[in-house]
Amino acid sequence: MKNLFNKLIASLKKEIKILIHDKVALILLFALPLFLVFVITIVQDSTFRLVNDNEIELYVLNADKGDKSQQILHLLKESGNFKVEEIHSISKEELGAKIIKDNYLIGIFIPENFSKSIEDNLEKINNEILEGFGFLEEEDKEMTEHLTSNASDQIKMYYNPIVQDNFRESIAYSISMYFQQVESNLILQQVFENMGFSGEPEKLKESLFAMESQLQQIPASNKANAQIPNSTQHNVPAWSIFAMFFMVVSLGASIVKDKNSGNFIRLKTIPGSISLTFIAKTILYIIVGLLQLSLIFLMGIFVFPQIGLPPLRLPESIFPLFIISFLSALAAISYALLIGTFSKSVEQANGFGAVSIIIFAAIGGIWVPSFVMPEFLQKIGNISPLKWCLESYYTLFLQSGSWTSLYSNIITLSLFIIGTQFASYYKLKIDHYI
Amino acid sequence: MQELVRIENIEKKYKNNSFYSLKGISFNIYKGEKFGIFGPNGAGKTTLISALCGTQSNYKGSILYKYAAEYITVSAMKENIGYVPQDFAFHEELSVWDNLQYYGAIYGLNRIKKQEKIHELMGMMQLEEFKNRKLLHCSGGIKRRVNLAIALLHDPKILFLDEPTVGIDIDSKMGIMQYLENLNKKGMTIVYTSHELHEGEAFCNRVILLNQGKIVLEGKLPTVLKENKVHNLEALFLKSIRNEKFV
Repeated sequence: MKNLFNKLIASLKKEIKILIHDKVALILLFALPLFLVFVITIVQDSTFRLVNDNEIELYVLNADKGDKSQQILHLLKESGNFKVEEIHSISKEELGAKIIKDNYLIGIFIPENFSKSIEDNLEKINNEILEGFGFLEEEDKEMTEHLTSNASDQIKMYYNPIVQDNFRESIAYSISMYFQQVESNLILQQVFENMGFSGEPEKLKESLFAMESQLQQIPASNKANAQIPNSTQHNVPAWSIFAMFFMVVSLGASIVKDKNSGNFIRLKTIPGSISLTFIAKTILYIIVGLLQLSLIFLMGIFVFPQIGLPPLRLPESIFPLFIISFLSALAAISYALLIGTFSKSVEQANGFGAVSIIIFAAIGGIWVPSFVMPEFLQKIGNISPLKWCLESYYTLFLQSGSWTSLYSNIITLSLFIIGTQFASYYKLKIDHYI
Repeated sequence: MQELVRIENIEKKYKNNSFYSLKGISFNIYKGEKFGIFGPNGAGKTTLISALCGTQSNYKGSILYKYAAEYITVSAMKENIGYVPQDFAFHEELSVWDNLQYYGAIYGLNRIKKQEKIHELMGMMQLEEFKNRKLLHCSGGIKRRVNLAIALLHDPKILFLDEPTVGIDIDSKMGIMQYLENLNKKGMTIVYTSHELHEGEAFCNRVILLNQGKIVLEGKLPTVLKENKVHNLEALFLKSIRNEKFV
């Protein structure tokens, strides 16, 4: 037994020395994951801020002669969300080309008869209200039937094709809200005028706007003192899992190298030594995986706040976090062992290993949340080990979950580990390595 | 002569091959011999050596070792077998010292015995000045010496050498062959295969010649040369390639 332990220690020492001497593998295992999580969190946070906090540069080509478009432009400028630049002396057709040339994201075209359309629309609505009260004359009724224009339909929003759909939809929605606000204001003003008041009372106007419902957003949680989700809480666990599974490139290749070198041939003449090599690799890479996670989490806790990113807040229950991290690392290692034992060359292991992890990450909800995917893809995503790890981390980091909410993922991950380890063992057995 | 290995009717056919790599192979190896296995490329030399030292196990027939008056299987004999594969069987990323330390521990040597053996082998193979050098940065000659030193760490009773001197300069080659001679004088049985026929002729005292997986000739080297009316192993080898009849 002591002899076996000494052999295991020797195998572990050897694996550590090989890893320490491989500078590229060290960069791949430690520096790149830190950099990846760092960059992705900044990018995701910036996207969030771009829509919510930053001023978006906006070209406005205003062909309208009336005052309604000016009111809207005033509101857009006052909002603080847009940096409005009015442009003149170009046609509607040239607006698109100017956006691309000047590297702007969005341009708005307000047509010539915009104010007139709004006024017609207002009159129609106004008459419908008065008709409801029974105040409308017969001749006014006939006139209302001819008023059919819709002002908002005539506004054109040009966008740079590099703008992604979700970002574009947010801006379009935001601009529409300002148009609606102006139209509502004008309707109110018109109704008061028709009722014989001079303009709408300021107090009523303020009260009406104060009534606008603001949704209070509360994260669903298993505990009262839940963390507020932010880009850090979402990205750090997700991309840490991705980075950890990417050890398939280093570990898978190391197994293929051992298999294809004379080492395994020599080790075959020493009973039990190949199994010890695999156990040593597993122990070392569990340490590597947990070290990767610790470094990324420490970066989230201490470095992110220094650069204006939200800090990472660890779950209250550290023990479940350790168990999930341990199982995630072991799942990543077992997958790398499987790839390494089945691959015939380093190129095969690296190519298949890396691409398969990218696919697992994509369908597992690492890049975009699973719930936005088509239903069939969500079902396929259930086979991704990265998804099981991610769901477990989200349960801990975002939903303050307990052991009971982790059971199903712990069982699935354990079965995956047993299955892949057994498949690797079987492959080594049929290849007569053990 | 004391029998050490009894090989009976070995047959081996690889999955995708239509022909047998080894067919009806039977012979004995005796204690203290310098035994040579020769033949053209694809004759089955490496497959036979692999079977003899236990890295190839799915074959028909039997290989038994006589150890302490009993016949035992290859698996049971493994601790007493030294194997020098044709490929370098060490970690090139590690130093000479680290490789010897690792394999010493894997062979199950205790700390004191391991250090003694490593120092002894490094001294005899003139590896001391390269002790801390990574094998990646060592010459072919040093790599061959380390490849051999690792196989000797556990003092094996029988040593299998598959092309032990391929790709190295004449000085290193002579050094290795001299060291093998010394080991044999101390009682170690050596089974050797090589393309270097002059080297084999000078070193081995008994040979088998393989062709297309079969033994075409077996015996003491001076006797087989005389019986076949050739002057050296090279001529014997050419005769086997041309499928000429042996005596």
